[in-house]
Amino acid sequence: MSGLFQEAIFVSLLAATIRIATPLLLSAMGELVTQRAGIWNVGVEGTMLTGAFMAYIAYAVTGDHLTAFALAVLAAMVLGAITAFLSVTLRVDHFITGLGINLLASGLTLFWFRSFVKGKAQPTFDSIGTVPVPYLSDIPVVGPVLFDQRLLTYAAFALVPVVWAFLYRTRTGLELRALGENPAALDTMGLNVAIRQYAATIFGSAMTGLGGAFLMLGFSDRFVPELSAGRGWLVVVALIAGNWHPLRVTFAVLAFSFLESLATHSQAIGAAVPYQLLLALPYVISIAIIVMAKGKSRQPAALGESYARS
Amino acid sequence: MRIKLEQRHASSLLWQGMSYGLAILAGFAATAVLLKLSSADVSTAFAALLRGAFGSQRAVLRTLVDATPLILTGLAALVVFRARIWSIGQEGQVYAGAMGAYWVASSLPDAPLFVVGPLAMAGAILGGATMSGIAAVLRNRYEVNEIFSTVMLNYIVVYLLSWLLSGGPWTEAGTTVAYHQTPLLAQSAWLPQLSGPLHAGLLIAIAAAISVHLLLERTSAGYDMRALGANQTALRFMGMDVPRIVLVTMLLSGALAGLAGGVELLGVQHRLKADYLFGLGYGGIIVAMVGGLRPAGTVAVAILFGGLSSGAVDMRIQSGVPDSLIQAMQGTILLFVLCGTALARYRLTWSSAK
Repeated sequence: MSGLFQEAIFVSLLAATIRIATPLLLSAMGELVTQRAGIWNVGVEGTMLTGAFMAYIAYAVTGDHLTAFALAVLAAMVLGAITAFLSVTLRVDHFITGLGINLLASGLTLFWFRSFVKGKAQPTFDSIGTVPVPYLSDIPVVGPVLFDQRLLTYAAFALVPVVWAFLYRTRTGLELRALGENPAALDTMGLNVAIRQYAATIFGSAMTGLGGAFLMLGFSDRFVPELSAGRGWLVVVALIAGNWHPLRVTFAVLAFSFLESLATHSQAIGAAVPYQLLLALPYVISIAIIVMAKGKSRQPAALGESYARS
Repeated sequence: MRIKLEQRHASSLLWQGMSYGLAILAGFAATAVLLKLSSADVSTAFAALLRGAFGSQRAVLRTLVDATPLILTGLAALVVFRARIWSIGQEGQVYAGAMGAYWVASSLPDAPLFVVGPLAMAGAILGGATMSGIAAVLRNRYEVNEIFSTVMLNYIVVYLLSWLLSGGPWTEAGTTVAYHQTPLLAQSAWLPQLSGPLHAGLLIAIAAAISVHLLLERTSAGYDMRALGANQTALRFMGMDVPRIVLVTMLLSGALAGLAGGVELLGVQHRLKADYLFGLGYGGIIVAMVGGLRPAGTVAVAILFGGLSSGAVDMRIQSGVPDSLIQAMQGTILLFVLCGTALARYRLTWSSAK
């Protein structure tokens, strides 16, 4: 194998890692806010699938990327509102709520998809193009890996410091974090618990929906049922692995993305392991990560507990 | 006027029952809206659905065939959820069960049914229980939340099966790999037919439902499982071996889900193919929840959902509506059940404005 060829594969592997990380990162930053506010949303998988599907339908009908992204986010926000209604207002167990959202999303998207494609050719998609950053994208290796990506990829990485600043440097962020630790304290101060938890949940779902839309429009040429394929669950695991801290969560997301990128490049690299087993690797690793994350957890104390005034 | 939700002190059984019934009705109503949106003729579609589900003797038999694996996966979800163990690994355990049964049956091509049948079912149980056992050990020894371990195992098993069937040792020889399936099993391994398409798997499922009912209501092991769901801390203070109860409950759940895979393989499909098993595990979770986490309710809802899935075939042929309508319907029914059972805990009160 020539050196030039090896370098090309290496660049492609890393560039794909960054691309694959984009939907996960968008979703993870959103769900981080949700979970810090005490809502344990495990409906991420279904919400991401819904975002991807709405983006597909909207783009197939209108041919407009912006409309597709907007409708995907809107649909995800509706799911976020349902999640909040069930777990905040009706105080249904957060896990049961998320399970319901996932199964609902999986059923509805499958049916709508089959009705939509019935008897006609699948529309094909021009994936949204990359926007190279002037000058920076000319740097060897680093340029094509980091600075020849899609706009939303830049936005996703820019979101990390923004979410950090929001959580740790603003009053609202402080209130949200307090909500995840001790909602009764906020309630005593006369601050509305429910409205903040609704907002945090809907925000998280919106970001997950945006991630789903990118998953569809950023690197899929068609929709397939269960397109999200467990990525929503990886986001939830990334929050645990990253100990609910924006920067560490980002590293966890990058690690998962690198593994997936590795699997898709396995043939080019010449790996002897069947690609299906490589594709299973992120899920195996995620279990190992949870095992290792044990004991040093900074999990919000009231995560997953519906607040009831006593 | 002020309307307020107020928590009931004791939620009455009548309200609970009514909330399930209303939720199912609401699910049907929402499905009618879906049909309308997909510009199908609602009454034609529903009529075809009902006829295909319960309209003739043959339809009823097909309904029972489709209900059989759902009864088993429903029971699998029921036992863990009653213990408040949030295992959602039934989907992967069904695959593992079918893999276990296939491995045994394909290794014994010449053995008679009374030998290969029980051994293959044992293989199915072992396959499913291995999966749930891994999750139980991860929870007991490494404090890994079973939600994550079971979800991840679901994906891992799907990829493993995908490899076994396309490129791996079970790939059907002489065909292109595109079929992703094994060859047919020898007829000696097929479950006996009771009547038409109905096979002996239904008897296994009914026996399992009765056993689970007796286990939960009449034995101390069942009491422990329910106690784990009611108050885990109290159980620990009583000096009970909580990890052991978790392990036993999860092994039982995995065995039931694995059995669903084995029964579906030897009773209906006779060859291993991922598409045939898709959704049985998740469907079982919905069946158990809509059935109020009770064995009798689970069997009833499994028959209702089995009817929907066998009726969906007629509906597709007669009105062109995709049979995935059933998944959408199950999802909506589940959501309404969640709302309904939660609301049954409250009552509406109103008073004139202050």
